[in-house]
Amino acid sequence: MARTQVTRGLGSVVEFEDAGLYLPVRERRRGGGRRQRLRRMAGETVQDKVWQIRDATFSVAEGEAVAIVGYPESGRDILLRLAAGTLLPDAGTVRRSVPVVGMVGVARALNRNYTVRQNVHLLGGLLGMTQEEVIPKVPEIIAFAGLEKQTDKYLGSIPLAVRIRLAWGISMATQARAFAVSQVLVVGDPATREDCWREIERRKADGVAFLVTSDRPSDLLRFCDRAILVDKDHALGDMTVADALARLKTFKRPKAIKQFIDDESSDDADDEFL
Amino acid sequence: MLVKRDLQQLYTKYRLGYLWTIIEPLGMSLVLWFVFTALLGPRKLGLQPYLLFLTIAILPWWWFTKGISSCARAFAKNKRQLRVSLLPTELWVLRILLTTMMEFILSLPVIGLAMLVTRTMPGPLIILYPVAMALQFLLMYGVGLLVASWVIVVPDMGRIVRIVMRALFYLTPVLYSISNIPEHLRQYAALNPLVAPIGLYRIGFWPDEHEALLPFVVSLSLCLITLLVGILVFRRLESRILKEV
Repeated sequence: MARTQVTRGLGSVVEFEDAGLYLPVRERRRGGGRRQRLRRMAGETVQDKVWQIRDATFSVAEGEAVAIVGYPESGRDILLRLAAGTLLPDAGTVRRSVPVVGMVGVARALNRNYTVRQNVHLLGGLLGMTQEEVIPKVPEIIAFAGLEKQTDKYLGSIPLAVRIRLAWGISMATQARAFAVSQVLVVGDPATREDCWREIERRKADGVAFLVTSDRPSDLLRFCDRAILVDKDHALGDMTVADALARLKTFKRPKAIKQFIDDESSDDADDEFL
Repeated sequence: MLVKRDLQQLYTKYRLGYLWTIIEPLGMSLVLWFVFTALLGPRKLGLQPYLLFLTIAILPWWWFTKGISSCARAFAKNKRQLRVSLLPTELWVLRILLTTMMEFILSLPVIGLAMLVTRTMPGPLIILYPVAMALQFLLMYGVGLLVASWVIVVPDMGRIVRIVMRALFYLTPVLYSISNIPEHLRQYAALNPLVAPIGLYRIGFWPDEHEALLPFVVSLSLCLITLLVGILVFRRLESRILKEV
């Protein structure tokens, strides 16, 4: 469909051109003087646009891992979702030459009221696999999550970290040529994180493109080729990962997030991915 | 394909209560039948036999209300899935419609029961029954998309829809026949897009009910217009929907 439309013959895998997105924010009417007094008293709300991302122009080529560097709430996830097509830009264009699997809150999309197996089918389907494609991969996915014995148990009884592994396994099973990965590599135990980064490296060698965000700069330094720096609502374009991280430190941190670099499995991170 | 699987999954939940899909509309019809024949006396309302007349329209009506009112929650309920889904956004509306349609089909034996009790056999025009279903499906798809997208912009829509549905129940010839409406008002009744499918459902048993073709055509075209408007509104609001859920 139009939302996740694929443009053929594009030079790169994903291409952002002046892409922007705003969120409508409702506020109570203020000011406006005497004429608007009644409306003010009635609590009429005024809609305002708050730009989350503006003028994002960059592209991701095959076999490349691009880091999106920024503080939480700076619009990193919005960039990823734009790339995948689960959000539509309000300005500019986002084009892709292959379907991009967006992994922003994938573990959240798992349904607690379904069994593990049903969830594999459900999420696999949501991420664009047909059921015929899912069936042969079910054992592999479940083995990755280590859930062989609980295949037909309901998901609610399964711990969070395992659910994340499950979601990762399902997403990877799509064999997509491009992924937009958020936060996966931060939450979960270190072993999972290592597994995931290895997987990314393997796929990269195969020519799969990645867009990654993470709150762990060391991982980004190790695995990513380039970085897009995001500050407030601006995407500041291409640079090396090290440069981006250095410049990030000069920005003012949002107050709510205290320990940005040391705290690796904060509730925030959990919340964002799960 | 995925919708089909979704459906099966929903049905594992419902199967326990399959009997309910029969009992519920049956009870409803019986109550209404009792009220309108026994209590209100033999004032000519609808066509005879009244029990059959009632059941045949009340089942699709139920499908309509259930479908549309759950469409109001279509996106909000599945927001977590919607955030990652690469499938068309309309899927969630479609899924609700298909589920409720299955429920409707499964409750069809009620009509058979009513036929048995009243010993009426349908005429050859009963073949229009699936056509009526298809028509209603298209109409519901339009209305469903409309409602599902409006709810995102105006959160109060959910409640408004409920009231409108209640009003529509009495404004639509479910309890009565379109020929019960006074002559001068009948043309306005035709402005209700539901008139067309309901007329088609009934035509198998009462072939002469739709002697007036004009209201039918008006209603039919309104069905199609609704479908079109629904799709257009949804297109306009899709980006909003994705942001706000």
